[in-house]
Amino acid sequence: MSNRTLAGAAVALAALAAVPALPFMSKYYLLLAFDALLFGAIAMSLDLLIGYTGLVSFGHAAFFGLGAYATAVCLERKIVSLWICLAAAVVVVGLYALLVSYFATARRGIYFALLTLIFAEVVYTFFRYTQTFGGSDGIQGVPAAELAPGVALDTPLKNYYLVLVFLALAWLTCRTLVGSHFGRVLVAIRENEDRARFLGYNVTRYKMGVCLVSALLTGVAGALYPGRSGFATPDLMLWTVSGEFIIMVMIGGLGTLVGPVIGGVFFVVLQEKVSSYVDWYFIVIGLVLVLIVLFMPKGLLGFRRVQGFAQWRSGQ
Amino acid sequence: MLNVRDLHAGYGATPILFGVSLEVREGEAVALLGKNGMGKTTLMKAVMGFLRPWSGRVEFQGAGITGLTPHEIARRGVGLVPENRRIFPGLTVRENLELGLSAVRGRSAGLRRDRLTEVFRHFPRLAERIDQPGRTLSGGEQQMLAIGRVMMAGARIILMDEPTQGLAPAMVRHIREMIRELGRLGVTVLLVEQNARMALNVCDRGYIMEKGVIVFEGPARELRESPVTREKLGV
Repeated sequence: MSNRTLAGAAVALAALAAVPALPFMSKYYLLLAFDALLFGAIAMSLDLLIGYTGLVSFGHAAFFGLGAYATAVCLERKIVSLWICLAAAVVVVGLYALLVSYFATARRGIYFALLTLIFAEVVYTFFRYTQTFGGSDGIQGVPAAELAPGVALDTPLKNYYLVLVFLALAWLTCRTLVGSHFGRVLVAIRENEDRARFLGYNVTRYKMGVCLVSALLTGVAGALYPGRSGFATPDLMLWTVSGEFIIMVMIGGLGTLVGPVIGGVFFVVLQEKVSSYVDWYFIVIGLVLVLIVLFMPKGLLGFRRVQGFAQWRSGQ
Repeated sequence: MLNVRDLHAGYGATPILFGVSLEVREGEAVALLGKNGMGKTTLMKAVMGFLRPWSGRVEFQGAGITGLTPHEIARRGVGLVPENRRIFPGLTVRENLELGLSAVRGRSAGLRRDRLTEVFRHFPRLAERIDQPGRTLSGGEQQMLAIGRVMMAGARIILMDEPTQGLAPAMVRHIREMIRELGRLGVTVLLVEQNARMALNVCDRGYIMEKGVIVFEGPARELRESPVTREKLGV
């Protein structure tokens, strides 16, 4: 990683750390900022699959939801240590991710997307209809987790800094991964899977590896969610949530890591702001997405490549 | 070194290879000639493990490799220089080359440097372009890169599928010299070509394939002069 990259990251981190000090910051905006960074981090981890490896996962909501449920179940049983909650999420999401990726990576393209979707729907249905986990109501009103005995993460401000630290660590993980030899093999797989095979790479193992990393990051993000909301519901695992994750990555720019973070922030803020005025907010979001795909095919991060309409029509 | 025995293979229910047998001995350069659609590329795929043969046997260095996966076959030392767009366009020249070496763990940085130097000695043009993405290279340079990549891997045998297809005459000469050089280095080569004159110029022996079977084989000199070559290949 270059010094310039690290310096840029440090500046961004400092700026984000200063966000709660903004004059108009209220509890409402802190929670919004929490969501923005959390979903930004999820979009970034999904970018490892979509942008770098060329695998479109349509089931990331299941990793997110399982992480949330792992925490909620612990907290409901008065196991309030954040670290135990995170460990539970890592074990649950990790085992599930191994199972999904074992089957999904055996197939390419649309079949990978469909298999991840089907597995996620199974998980959704299980939680939706299992009363032990609250059925359609999920697990509500769980207490705050504790960083250490007596240090509860019970305010929006504390949770905001928690998610900021998570985002920074997740970025560091992703960045190191894509800069490594492993990351280069992922790009090679995206560009031509067979070519990577005849160079001697066990492509399936690399795909499973990157699925696991992406799933675990998303799962840990999910594990932080009940700390902010106090609940975990099956709706977190709806297939539309997986679709939103993909949209965030697309908006931000494939294969850039930082782009999807911006895409996630953009999506969350836009959704919140528009939906507070109108019910049909998804029409507005859809329109924005169409415009971005047409005029900024490289996403928000590729804004310097914005083209004129005439140029676009002529395909140049 | 590479032994193909009575290989039958095809796609779906359509047979393409009807009992192909050929042999490449250590240090040899062998040409596999034939017109379009005669099964040459299918044979490459079957040797490389991308296509499971219906029957028959492929042996490499005395051990059967039929049924192994492509990456297992590659790790045993079979290098493929495939036809058409042959490299990773989004990765730089250096990254493309290093991918060739690193599939097997535990290879030292020293070895990597030595092999890189070796490749650049043969292809100084690649050294000039080391940090450029593969897609910015010309067709001939991409071909050099694909050959350099299997040299990095330390392949014991190199299978080349139509390396001169679509290249300018000057570049064809360059590739031809490169294949000769590989021969001097002791690398075994199986060259699949439609350009029979070029192939027979650099190879020791040749096979002619037609409709999924080998119809003629012999020393390159013999094939160059034989009327069969002209009849089967139209050269």
